[in-house]
This record gives sequence, C-alpha cells and structure tokens, in this order.
Amino acid sequence: MVTATKPSSNRNIRVGIIAAGGALAMLGLGYASVPLYRIFCQATGFNGTTQRSTAAQAAAVKATMRPITIRFDGNVVNGMPWQFHPEQVTQSGLIGERKMAFFIAKNISNRTITGRAVYNVTPEQTGAYFHKIQCFCFNDQTLKPGEEVRMPVLYYVDPDILTDPNAKDVSEITLSYTFLEAADSTQSTPKNK
Amino acid sequence: MSLSHVARAVTGAFRTMSLAAALAFAPQAMAAAAAPAPAAAAAPAPEAPVAATPAPAGSAAPADAAAAAPVDKGSYSPMKPVDGKGQPVAKGWTFQDQYSPNGQEALRMHDYILMPVITVITLFVLLLLLLVMVRFRRSANPVASKTSHNTTIEIIWTVVPVLILVFVAVPSIRLLAHQYAPAPKGALTVKATGYQWYWGYTYPDNGGFEVISNILPDAEAIKRGEQPQLAADNRMVVPAGEPIRLQTTGSDVIHAFAVPSLWFKLDAVPGRINEKVLFIKEPGVYYGQCSELCGARHGYMPIVVEALPRAKFEEWVKAQGGTVGAPATATAAAAPAKPTPAA
Amino acid sequence: MASIPAHEGFDAHHDDAHDHDHKPAFFQRWFMSTNHKDIGTLYLIFAIIAGIIGGGVSGIMRAELAHPGIQYLGWWTHFLGGNDQDFNATLHLWNVLITAHGLIMVFFMVMPALIGGFGNWFVPLMIGAPDMAFPRMNNISFWLTVSGFCSLMISAFMPGGTGMGAGTGWTVYAPLSTSGSVGPAVDFAIFSLHLAGAGSILGAINFITTIFNMRAPGMTLHKMPLFVWSMLVTAFLLLLSLPVLAAAITMLLTDRNFGTTFFNPAGGGDPILYQHLFWFFGHPEVYIMILPGFGIISQIISTFSKKPVFGYLGMAYAMVAIGAVGFIVWAHHMYTTGLDVNTKMYFTAATMVIAVPTGIKIFSWIATMWGGSLEFKSPLVWAIGFIFLFTVGGVTGVVLANGGIDDNLQDTYYVVAHFHYVLSLGAVTSLFAGFYYWFPKMSGRMHSEFLSHLHFWVFFVGVNLIFFPMHFLGVQGMPRRYPDYAPAFEFWNTIATNGYMVMAASMVIFFVNIAYSLVAGPKAVGNYWGEGATTLEWTLSSPPPFHQFETLPVIEEAHAH
Repeated sequence: MVTATKPSSNRNIRVGIIAAGGALAMLGLGYASVPLYRIFCQATGFNGTTQRSTAAQAAAVKATMRPITIRFDGNVVNGMPWQFHPEQVTQSGLIGERKMAFFIAKNISNRTITGRAVYNVTPEQTGAYFHKIQCFCFNDQTLKPGEEVRMPVLYYVDPDILTDPNAKDVSEITLSYTFLEAADSTQSTPKNK
Repeated sequence: MSLSHVARAVTGAFRTMSLAAALAFAPQAMAAAAAPAPAAAAAPAPEAPVAATPAPAGSAAPADAAAAAPVDKGSYSPMKPVDGKGQPVAKGWTFQDQYSPNGQEALRMHDYILMPVITVITLFVLLLLLLVMVRFRRSANPVASKTSHNTTIEIIWTVVPVLILVFVAVPSIRLLAHQYAPAPKGALTVKATGYQWYWGYTYPDNGGFEVISNILPDAEAIKRGEQPQLAADNRMVVPAGEPIRLQTTGSDVIHAFAVPSLWFKLDAVPGRINEKVLFIKEPGVYYGQCSELCGARHGYMPIVVEALPRAKFEEWVKAQGGTVGAPATATAAAAPAKPTPAA
Repeated sequence: MASIPAHEGFDAHHDDAHDHDHKPAFFQRWFMSTNHKDIGTLYLIFAIIAGIIGGGVSGIMRAELAHPGIQYLGWWTHFLGGNDQDFNATLHLWNVLITAHGLIMVFFMVMPALIGGFGNWFVPLMIGAPDMAFPRMNNISFWLTVSGFCSLMISAFMPGGTGMGAGTGWTVYAPLSTSGSVGPAVDFAIFSLHLAGAGSILGAINFITTIFNMRAPGMTLHKMPLFVWSMLVTAFLLLLSLPVLAAAITMLLTDRNFGTTFFNPAGGGDPILYQHLFWFFGHPEVYIMILPGFGIISQIISTFSKKPVFGYLGMAYAMVAIGAVGFIVWAHHMYTTGLDVNTKMYFTAATMVIAVPTGIKIFSWIATMWGGSLEFKSPLVWAIGFIFLFTVGGVTGVVLANGGIDDNLQDTYYVVAHFHYVLSLGAVTSLFAGFYYWFPKMSGRMHSEFLSHLHFWVFFVGVNLIFFPMHFLGVQGMPRRYPDYAPAFEFWNTIATNGYMVMAASMVIFFVNIAYSLVAGPKAVGNYWGEGATTLEWTLSSPPPFHQFETLPVIEEAHAH
C-alpha cells in the first residue's frame, strides 16, 4: 500500500496495527464471552444458575431450623413429543436439609429421543444458594418409544442464603426444568456421559 | 376513586353474560379445545389467519384438559370489561390507571417526580434557547464576545444535574426493591407460557391444568363488548387482592407477558423461568399484549387477565377441572398439557 | 493505476507532473477511488439512496398503521413476490419492514452519512492532512458497506421462515433468528451486518490513525476541532463494539447452519447471552450515531455565534465520558429479561450518569451562543432545532433509565418515540445541519437559504407530528413492532401518519434544493460563512482542490478550535 521506507507511513502502519489488534481483541472477547458468561453464572448464581455440589460437600452442611418450600416445574419445548412433569408440585423442608424430588418423563412418540434438560431457579438471587448433588440434568436422557422414567433430583439450600439481604426473605424457590431435544437425539443407542 | 372502581368492578363481576354464555364458549375448557372453531366462524379478512393456525400445539393440549374437565356448571362466565379500566382508551395520552400497588407507586413516581423534572428541564432549555436567539441575534448584538470559559458555571451545570439525578434515583431504587419483594409463603402460582402465537396459563397449585388463550376475531370481540385485537377466547383468571407468583417461560422463541394497567412486563424465555409478583387490587379485566417480537403473529397474541374475588376464582378453577386447596398433592395426570402427541 | 498518485502522508514534495486538480478518469475516480473527498461523496450519495429506501419503508409502515386493520400489507406481499394468500406471510412482511427500516437507517444511512460522508470529507481537511492515512483501505470500507447493503436487499427476496425476508427485528434476537427463522433470508441479513461491520471497523482504524498521526504541525489533540474529537471517540467506539457484534452474529450464523449451540439451550447455550452481546455493541452504537452529530453541531454553533466553543475541554471530554460510560450500561435494554434486583439497580444508576455529560454538552452549546452574534443561516437553525429535539429525546431517556418505570414502557411506542427523538430527530437533524453547513464546500455551489429554512420548518413540524404522539401511544400501552392495533390507539396513529406526509414533503424540498444548487446555485467562495468559520476547511477553495495541503498548514494559536 505504502512504501515502508517513509517514516510517516511506518507510523501509520504501527498505529493501524495497534488499532486492528484492539479490534481483534474485542472479537476474541466476543467469543470468549460464551464460556466466561457460563463461568460467571455458575460462580455467582447470576440468572438463577444453580450450584453443583458433591455428596461430601453436602454432608458438611448443617440443616437450620428455617423452613423453605421448593416448587418444581417441568416444561417441554414446543414440538418435542415428551411428557414431563414433577411428581410433586412443592416440597417443604429446612434450609440446609438434603431433599430428594422426582420428575417423570415419558416419550410419547414412536422413535427414540434423547433429551437434555436445562434449568434455573427463581427468584434469580437464590441461584447461588441452590445446590444440586445429583440431577438428571447432569446427563442427557434417552427414552425409547413409549418409555417412562422417574428421575431424581437431590438438592439442598445453602444456609448462607440467610445472610444475603436480597435472598433471605424468599419463602419459596422454584426449580424449573425444560427438556429440549438434543441435536443428535434420534440415535437409537442411549447416550450417557 | 378506588371506591367507585370497586363498585364498578364488583357489578361487573357478578353480571352474567347471558348471551355469550349461551354460546359454545361457556365451558372454558371446551372453548379451548375448540379454539380454532370460533375463529373460523367469524373471519373477516384480517382474522382469516387465526383460523388458519389451528392453534398448533394448543389443539392437542386442550384436548387433555377437556377430557379431564368435568361438565361445566355454568358458574363462570367471562367478566365484561369496564370502559377505561385495564385497557387503553381512545385519544388517551397518560398511563392507564394502575390496579396494583407497585403500579400505583411507579405511576406516582412518574407523574410527580419524573414528569415535572423532565418538563422543567425541557422548558428551561427551550427558554434559554429562545432567550439566546432573541438577545444575541446579530442585529441586537453585532459584536460577539470571546468568552469561552467560566469555571463556576461549568461546575454548576455538572453538579446540579448530578443532584437532580440523585433525587430521581432514590425513589427509583426504592421502587425496584418493592417490585422485587419476594412472594409471601403460600402465594398462588400461575405460569404463563408463550407459544407461537398464543398463551398458555398453567395453574400448578390447582391441579396443573393449562388454559390455552387465543386471540378472538375482531367481530367476536366486538360482540362480547371487548376491544378488537385485545380480546382472547380464554382468559388468565386469578384471584384479586392477593399476591400471585407469576412465572413466565417460552416454548419456542422469546415472548413477553405484559399488562400495562398492572405495570407488569416479564419476558417469556425458552429454557428458563422468570418470576415476579403480581398483585391486583380489585376484580376486573386487564388487557395486555405480547411485547417481544416473536414472529409473524407477534401482534396477535393478546393477554387478558381477569381478576375475581377468591370464591369466584375457586369456582372457576373447579369449572376447569382443577382442585382448590392442598396444593402439594400429587398432580400426576394433570401436568401433561403441552407436547403434541403426533410429533 | 499509475495515474493515481499515491498519498504518502506528510510528503509534501510531490514533484511529479500532476497539478492540484488533476483527476483520474471517471471509472478510476469513482470506483477505485482513494481520495478521501471522493469517497466521502460516494458515502453521502450512498446514504441518500439508502435513506430514500429506508424512509420509503417507514412510509409503507405509517400507511399501514394509519388505521386499525391490515390494509396494504397483502398488496405489498404480492408486489414483492410473496404469497399474499397466506396471512402469516403477510404479517411476516411487516416484520421484514421493521427489520429493514432499522438496519438500513442505522447501518446504511446514518453511519455512512455521518462517519463515511462527513467524517471522510472533513476530518482530513480540519486537521490539515492531505488525505486519510490508508486511502485504499478507505475505498475497501466503502465498497464493503455497499456490498452489505446489497446483501440486505437480497435477503428480502429469500425465504425467511413464515414469509420472504428476514423478520427478526434489527436486534436479531435468538432463538427467533435461529430456530425461529428457517431459510437463507436471515443468513443474508446477518452477512450484510458482517460486511457493513467490517467496513466500519476498517474505517475506524483509518480515522484513528489519521487523527493520531496526520495532524498538521501545531495542531495538538487539544486544539482539534470538536468534530474531529467526535470522530475520534466514535472511531474508538466502533473499533471496540463492532467486533463484539461480529462475534455474536457469527455465532448466530453457526448456530443456524453448523449445529453449534452458542445461544441454544439444547447445547448449554443461553439466548439471553446473545442479548448481552448485542447490546454491548448496541448501546455504544447509539452513541456512534449521535456523537458525530454532536461534533457537527459544535462547529455550527461556534461558526454562527462568531465565538469559540464554550468550555472546549469539557465538551471534548464529555464525549469521551459518554463513549466510556456507553460501554457499561447495555443491560438497560434488557430490563424485562429477568435480571435480578441488584443488576437492575446498577444499570439504572449507571444509565442515569450519562445524563450528566450530555447535559454539559447542551448547556455548553447554549453558553457558546450566549454573548455571540447569531446569524440565523440555515445550519444554525437546524442546529438549534437539534438542541431542542435532542433534549426532548434525552429527558425521555432519563425516564426509561429507571428500571422500575421501564417495566411498563419496554417495547412500547414510548421507546420508539424516545429513540427516534434522539436519532431520527437528533442524528438526522444534525445530518441536515451538517449538510447545509458543508454542502457548498463540497459541491462549490450555494444552496438556497430560503429552501433550507423551509425544509427545516416543514421537517420540524412533520417529525414532531410523527413522533410526539408516540409517547402517548407508549404510555397507553401500545407495543412496538405491531402491524395492527386496538381501536383505542387509532387517534394518535392517524396523526403520526399525517405527520409522515408532512415530513415527506420536507424531503421533496430538500431534493429540490440540491437540484437547484447543482444546476443554478451561485458559486461558493472559500469561506462563505464569514468570520465565524475558523477551522481549516475554510482556508481552502470550494470545492477544495483534489489534493489539498500539499504544503502543510501550520496551526497558530488563532486557529485553535
């Protein structure tokens, strides 16, 4: 473009490259935002993202005397031939107490379908305190035609919730799942990671 | 003012719509199952599409509900809306009257804080402009000064706006805190699901039935004394005077559940649930429309909230085949609703 | 190629045979142009064409909205080759129209005119540079923008789900834009954003380099005219925000076509993340459209007050502040998506902060006029109109900033009124102000002052008739992006449509004025605005020579802003 011998054009190219580097960095940041956002949500419970704990971590949590109600909600996206609903609408328990709830899913089509459950809790600010120890949402679920399964969720509410001014007055947390068809869902062999 | 509203609303609540009730619409669940039918019946040009979309998944879903629903006892008939309540008025240029405490607080903040502030600012700027234009026109002031700095005035016009904004921010933050106050224990939960292009209202505490709500054809809406484009065949019926935990989700794309007279708007996002407390102070019919672009019929999925006294609400629930009380009992058969059997 | 002289920065010793006004042959001059003034002219012509199309689209929309019911959409669907028997396809066309109107006006009208047009023309002139730093890249920027526009036009004739064209809104929210819109239309629309975005990023690099490196001796950053400052801030906003959009829409494309799940919950993605990314770009984008306007208004106010700009440093750094804060307020476009209370409180507070530097600008303009000797030439009239209209748009922004208030106004006509007051009545008014200010400089011929004033008054009445009633519709609850509405909304809609016709009449006056000046306008002298016009472009002839400043001007104190 410009002969590189001129000092002024050298300066231009330098500034131009720095600016282009800035643009590239922002482009990279745009892509990086996908994992960063996920990490951010998982770390802070932003958007009602729940926490995941091991059984050992859960065992270390002491139950309090404060009652809390957990509500369960199940959805299936439009067009996915599954029925999916919680076995119990709500479950009363204590903050810090480990509880188990069940969801029932049934494939009402005549093909094998792999579903994936996405989830969040409301109110959003309780996401940081809602811990799942075991959940069908950790893996894809494959159901044969007409197959019905009963799927457990093992969870507890972190007593730290009582120290959060925005979350301590919450009397009921809703745990909601939505089943979506996994992209490669029509394969016939069950896929469990 | 609120007294007269209550009076009007109560009259409305107890009024029966003899004519409409005689039509096939009376049994709520049946009407849902037959959603496309009424649309097909009327159908002037613009509405033709309503008939054309035989409520895609809805047609399947209500079939369940209909099957589950016992015979309607005729105890519920859609409340007639009151002019100017819960709906826009012709030539209206103010906010709709508010029927929720948060809405009234927000409206007060808008009317008594924001509007005066922005009006004064705008008039002040206009006044300064006019003053400058008159006083410093060339014929009046042929020689321009060369002043280009005045630290005092620059500090003033930085600090004063900051103070005004703080003055606005305090009630604004308080309003947000009130809007986010969590629902109390035992509040009724209703879930609004946005579909392309209709709404479904699920009552998990009452047996988990889902009411499918499609737009009414213009002619049918007028016949029922409702505004065209705003009326729906089945309404979201809720109790008045108590907090409701309203949850929203989308089944395909993002929709938004919005009711202007309740100061309520919440996106219905597929794959997640959102939640906000809705409190309707008095019985009435409150209209809203989908408020997030969701495809071709974005403009054709109105929201109609009908608030009833608790007892009337419970009657309605029973008429839908739902249960009242003991919400934690298993809902087993009830929840199925959505999925289309024949994929 | 040999006949195109290379522009080599400060090298003033072009001792070849070219005289100042030696111009390349037609094709080379206009299709392979490397001259910043020619490229600026191309951008302006392109923006006018795009503006006619985008404005025509809004005319179709206003006609449809004049009364309740669907009146003309079926005809237009048929006209454009769609299936008008399918009501969904007819309604889909509405979504295509709102999408096209938004994208065209933002990416192909306002941005090309303000940045590509006036920026290219006057940044080098005002800083005393012979040309842009990378003249050929400048050319690439322009043609990328044109290709982007072509891609968008093509998309209108491709299947896009329920009908022809991309009906996703200019925000292209997932999942409506992914699983919700089958067919290549949305791909073409997204690709058009890629092309236009790439063009703008290259342009931004060019402006930054030019402004940093090619100022005439003595012109420090703090002596640059405010228009140049505004372009510098704008260029940085472009450089930092557009790549994020590019990343986001590229992910949309791969989600659509290659089975990725960046925004698809089925694969662990989140559609809300797309909104965060879009508005991380989208909010700075708003300032990208208005900051150059701020710069233009500052030049005009100073010129016709015959005074230097009041509080120059405050003005410059207010723009820097607006640009910086513009990056941290994006989620105020997402108040109803289900943000938690702390997030909403933060974005409410941060958004309100923007009112402070904006207020500084408004008051500084008035203070510039205070004590001046105002000559009400057309650019000044447009500029004063801008200040008032922008104030109206600005204060409704303060209302919308409140998350708790916005719950009712989000996605209603109140928002439509607000952003048209700041853009259609703000940015576009500044465009016309700049046009009348500089048109004789660019063309060498004076326009008719009478027609310019007439244009202003008709335009002013028209746009206020269109957009002021939209506030009323918004508070009454009319949602945006609706082709049909309840009868209660008819009154104000009819007024808005009538206003559109007034505004359209003002456009006729505008084009008559251009035609008049090109055909019969008196020749413009170098500095036709007289003593108040002190920036460097006024030291040159009108139009300036094909190559200017081959001997660089030296900036003395007198030339400072």
